[in-house]
Amino acid sequence: MTGQGSMNFIFGKEGALVIDVDMIQRQIDLTFAEINYLIRLMYATEDEHTKNLTLNQMWNKIAHLQFLNQLLVAASFPQEQVAIPIPNSPQTTLPDSTNTPVDNNQREFTREQLAQFTGMNGQPAYVAVNGVVYDVTNNAAWSVATHFGLSAGRDLTQEFASCHTGQQWILDTLVPVGRLIA
Amino acid sequence: MSEHPVLPPESTDNESVAARLAREAKRQVDQSTLKKKKLVYLELNGCSGNIISLLNGSNPDFEYMITSMVDLLYSNSLMAAEGEQAVQRLFDLADSEEEFILAVEGAVALKNKGMYHLVGKIGDRPVTGLEMAELLGKKATHVISVGACSVDGGPSAARPNLSQSVGLQRVLDRHIIKLPGCPVNPDWFLGTLAHLLMFGEPKLDDMNRPLMFYSTLIHDRCPRRPFFDQGIFAEKLGEPYCLFKVGCRGPVTRTDCPTRKWNDHVNWPIGASTCIGCAQFGFPDRMAPFISYDTTKE
Repeated sequence: MTGQGSMNFIFGKEGALVIDVDMIQRQIDLTFAEINYLIRLMYATEDEHTKNLTLNQMWNKIAHLQFLNQLLVAASFPQEQVAIPIPNSPQTTLPDSTNTPVDNNQREFTREQLAQFTGMNGQPAYVAVNGVVYDVTNNAAWSVATHFGLSAGRDLTQEFASCHTGQQWILDTLVPVGRLIA
Repeated sequence: MSEHPVLPPESTDNESVAARLAREAKRQVDQSTLKKKKLVYLELNGCSGNIISLLNGSNPDFEYMITSMVDLLYSNSLMAAEGEQAVQRLFDLADSEEEFILAVEGAVALKNKGMYHLVGKIGDRPVTGLEMAELLGKKATHVISVGACSVDGGPSAARPNLSQSVGLQRVLDRHIIKLPGCPVNPDWFLGTLAHLLMFGEPKLDDMNRPLMFYSTLIHDRCPRRPFFDQGIFAEKLGEPYCLFKVGCRGPVTRTDCPTRKWNDHVNWPIGASTCIGCAQFGFPDRMAPFISYDTTKE
């Protein structure tokens, strides 16, 4: 590991993450110290604006802390491959990746079968783009299985292309569950 | 002696800067080179919700706006003049070479050449909102679209859209600052106006929304966010958890609501119910359903 003061990742065999636990620990200690400082600042200041600003900074620090915590968890169970999305990694773009269980990607959906996964009545919400079926049940942009007037259970290849041209990364963040056959 | 003598550095603390600005402003007022800009607040096809929201502004408030910031030339809801006398002001302004800022609230109704929305009458001739938007829109130094209807049709253009309402940009081929929201937070309008007066146009995103108000995803600053991250979802309103499963549009809407808040900065929709995405393009049709109990299971 090289470099100081910033997080370092090394991609080992087959793109797996190798994580420097000591460095994460130091970052966590540092973040805790900063949060403590921000809390004291919140008590000390009377000014509403400064308070809001401090609160925002605290949000950021806590989000950072959560990220570090997830990294630690990932480091503790390397063999289970806790999913940390790696942008542009070949793993996440290839359908036959080792990151996702094979049976998930082999499942085949007809349009009629896909139409059942509308997200209503406790069903999960699935959508298809470019022949791949994705699970958007817990995707933040798909509240109650709808997204800008679109509903789940359909092939949305056209709609995706018209709004998200060249934004392949959006698909990379979704969980694939199978393939759409004709 | 050279034209630009080298002077000792000026103090840059707040009081000195404010004093220099005030001195310069007074000098320009005395020499009549500084004039308050004129503002025309045109209400088209809508509910007047944005002007009501504007009246709820504080620091600065509406009174400060009309006394210290701009010369409010026209607002059909708030001006003393009425009828033909009021409408005539708009035509007089269009004929003059006066500079003015145009704020437009409400959508432009296109049906029957705009006859579904009238601004007023000159004699017996009806003056349509469409005519006024085009006439003043071309001449204004800056145009601000205030509210969802003006930005892209909003509720006025919701299905079935009987008046064939559209956003201002559809009839005006020029640069427009867009302030989506139903209604617009008074700070978003007054802040944008103040920035225009003092520093020129604020930085805009690629959809022409001022970044200083519209850059934050509500979901990222939501006090209920930790529940989302942990997968703890409210099944009905009134529960303190993440409202994602009942239809919250915070994850697709960009405003500073979570930190700025409303009603003198004390509360906001998420406090009691879901975000309905009122400041997102495509509201309301594309943000529906606002609430649903027939949901997915995690």
